[in-house]
Amino acid sequence: MKKILIVDDDPDLQAGQKDYLEGHGYEVLTAGGMQEGLQVLQSTAPDLILVDLMMEHYDAGFVFCAKVREKPELAGVPIIMQTSARDKLGFTPDSYDEKARSWMKADTILSKPVAPEDLLKTIRQYLQG
Amino acid sequence: MSMMDGTLRVLVVDDEEGMREGMRRVLERSSFQVDLAENGEEAIKLLEENTYDLALIDLKMPGIDGFEVTRYINETLGHQTVIVIVSALATVEAAMEVTRQGAFDFLVKPFVPKDLKQVVERAARQHRLILEREKYLTELASERNLSRQLINSMYEGVVVLNINREPVLMNPKAESFLSVRYKPQLSLQELGLSEEIVNAIDDILQSDSPRDEVRIRREHVGDRMLEIRVNPYQREGENAGVIVILEDVTLQWQAEQDKTRFISMVAHELKSPIAAIINYINIILTGMFDDQVEKIHEMMERSKIRGEALLDLIRDLLFLNQSDAGKVEKAIEKLELKGVLLDQLEFFKAQADRNGITLSLEAPEGEYPVRLDRKDLDRITMNLISNGIKYNREGGSLTLTIQQEGESVVVKVRDTGIGMSEEEMKGLFAEFYRVKNPSTSGIPGTGLGLATVKRIIGEYNGSIQVDSRPGEGSTFTVTLPRA
Repeated sequence: MKKILIVDDDPDLQAGQKDYLEGHGYEVLTAGGMQEGLQVLQSTAPDLILVDLMMEHYDAGFVFCAKVREKPELAGVPIIMQTSARDKLGFTPDSYDEKARSWMKADTILSKPVAPEDLLKTIRQYLQG
Repeated sequence: MSMMDGTLRVLVVDDEEGMREGMRRVLERSSFQVDLAENGEEAIKLLEENTYDLALIDLKMPGIDGFEVTRYINETLGHQTVIVIVSALATVEAAMEVTRQGAFDFLVKPFVPKDLKQVVERAARQHRLILEREKYLTELASERNLSRQLINSMYEGVVVLNINREPVLMNPKAESFLSVRYKPQLSLQELGLSEEIVNAIDDILQSDSPRDEVRIRREHVGDRMLEIRVNPYQREGENAGVIVILEDVTLQWQAEQDKTRFISMVAHELKSPIAAIINYINIILTGMFDDQVEKIHEMMERSKIRGEALLDLIRDLLFLNQSDAGKVEKAIEKLELKGVLLDQLEFFKAQADRNGITLSLEAPEGEYPVRLDRKDLDRITMNLISNGIKYNREGGSLTLTIQQEGESVVVKVRDTGIGMSEEEMKGLFAEFYRVKNPSTSGIPGTGLGLATVKRIIGEYNGSIQVDSRPGEGSTFTVTLPRA
């Protein structure tokens, strides 16, 4: 069973996505913020990470991604960022290219609220590759 | 003018006594005050002692002649004495020569009284013109002085640059804004203005046709935000330079920044509950939980809570907006704090019971009058009591105490809840601040409650403080002036 870590400070988004993904056969771990997320990663290596952008700070999601990428054992774990500020950051799904990936450290960025089907599709895409 | 009553004073210089006396008679009949000198030396002596409006000077005299007296008046004394040369040398050359020496007119000997009167009247007219011009120049100078004082007392900084882009005037405000002392030969570069402003200045100076357009730009200069306006300065339709006006808009700018930040925080706070609700609905709509009614109910219950919290937030925002706009009319009255608090505890009893929390009020015998709008006092106490219940633990307690301290009434709201660390308490009274940790994550709140409480208390010259320890609870202390 593939393991997914959801890092989000909104308990309801967290709970809803957990239920939904568990219903689709994933094992789901949750964390309410960047610090808690990093703590979980000390003992567990998930197959994929879903992370919010604005948590403890407005850019906590970026900091989280950068810290994850510092860990060699997590280097290959896909990170999907979900944020309600995606358009404000100037990204469309098409413009999120290699360059953006290199400084944002997230593999893709989704606009909140993400339709469950789209979330599932994106997760499957990254877990197959 | 030599005499206050407007009588003109005339000096007659002639070496022939008959001539002198003749002229005096004619002039005195025309109401002039007349002094006589029989040679150049005497004339100079009189000129040193007195100021003359007119001088009639014989050209040919032994010793110092008329030319020299004329030169003396114009060059050494610099008096505004109108000189008429009296001479028998009626040649064009002589006339030109005396005019060159600074004489105004020429009277040819011999002459009849009428000739003398005509020449003197002309000279008197000239004298009047000179006086008027002087008066005008004095006024102009004082006007300039006034303009300068006006510019110096302006709230805005002013820098004037000439057509060669050299600063020619800077008022003290401009010197202080730009941290530059004005000195001659100061260059535009030394003013430390941005490239954009310098370009705007050059644009105006180098344009072929004079322009009326004003360039406005805001920039940071030192710790100020300045609004800089570059105005063309024209003289007779030609570009003559540039006037740069510097206005300190730091406070305004900060307020705008705060507002922008506030609005983007509000947008985020409004989006979060909606995103959570839509997320639940989306999941329910996938149909995957159609056979698990309790799961659906759970999601709907959470959606309802988030929706209600969103309503609370909108209500708080509207309240903030109303108080910002000064729309809330206050009905300030004398209120007995003990009674108000007992009412509030009664109101919260049901909610406290559900959470197993004991409410109590401790107050020594006596009265605790305060002067507030009842709605404001309710808002303060409801927020604090509601927080004390929300952030408490199962089976905990919430204790209110009232005390009299000098001229103040002090209310303490003490809970036995989750408490806060030093770090978490920082910014507790800021708008949209919420303590975020695992034990608070399920508790709904707008992040505006304590900010509003602090704001209201401030309006009544009171204060609020917090003391807290993680795991032990928090105590909020409100101090209000006693009525």
